[in-house]
Amino acid sequence: MAIFSHRAGAALTQSPIVERPTGLPRFTKGLLKWSFAIGVVPPVALVVGLAVRSLYVVDYVHVLTGASWTGFDIYTGVVLSRVMRSLEIPARVEISKRLTPTTFFIIPSLAAVAITSGIYLAQEMGKFNLGDPWILAAGGIVVVLTVQGFGVFLPNGVRIFLELAKVKPDPALISRLTMRNVRLAGSQAVFQVLIILVMAHLAVY
Amino acid sequence: MNSSALVAIAVFAGALLSVFGVLYRMASTSHARGELAYEGIVILRWALLGQLAIFAILALTAFLT
Repeated sequence: MAIFSHRAGAALTQSPIVERPTGLPRFTKGLLKWSFAIGVVPPVALVVGLAVRSLYVVDYVHVLTGASWTGFDIYTGVVLSRVMRSLEIPARVEISKRLTPTTFFIIPSLAAVAITSGIYLAQEMGKFNLGDPWILAAGGIVVVLTVQGFGVFLPNGVRIFLELAKVKPDPALISRLTMRNVRLAGSQAVFQVLIILVMAHLAVY
Repeated sequence: MNSSALVAIAVFAGALLSVFGVLYRMASTSHARGELAYEGIVILRWALLGQLAIFAILALTAFLT
């Protein structure tokens, strides 16, 4: 994919500004490309499911994206947070350099597709009734998860990239931003366990 | 066409653009001060384009329901 194939060497001939050293590791673009390639799969699968008018495929996409999103957050909040806390700052930064680009497109894509496909499913099954307290509960939790995603996760991820690209990256700041995201993943896991409780109720009753 | 879905996706994309707008301003200021390499700005642009591409695919779904 050409979109991340910018080469600093080529840019050197265009702008003298890039002669300054950059802290951005060489593997960052490769991990971003991988993240984008995987991140595109869920929305494309949803488009296919809707195009062939298959409730089964849409349901499959919804359950798989929702479970993957929840699983990632539980893993991050319960397992990775403990591992990160036990590491020294330089080691945390090394993990962040790899974790941030790898999850950059995948997690927002999983979240957006899980929510969108959930709304289509609820509409198709005649359960999208805004007077229903269970639907309102699901909507409320989705709003919290979305605000956390757009307001904290994504900006922190971008700020980590920007810090890494600085002439003198601040390892303490990178570690702090990463730990903020890891802790937030733990709180997202709690909300997702709650939303699955709501989903289980909607599926059965 | 599912207009409410299209509006919701547009709102999400708008939120994304505003977040990136703030970060872009911060990055431009850092770049002007000589703290941030040009590569940081390039990564920011591609990151935004990638996220918008995912939203664009998602917006297609509004025309299929």
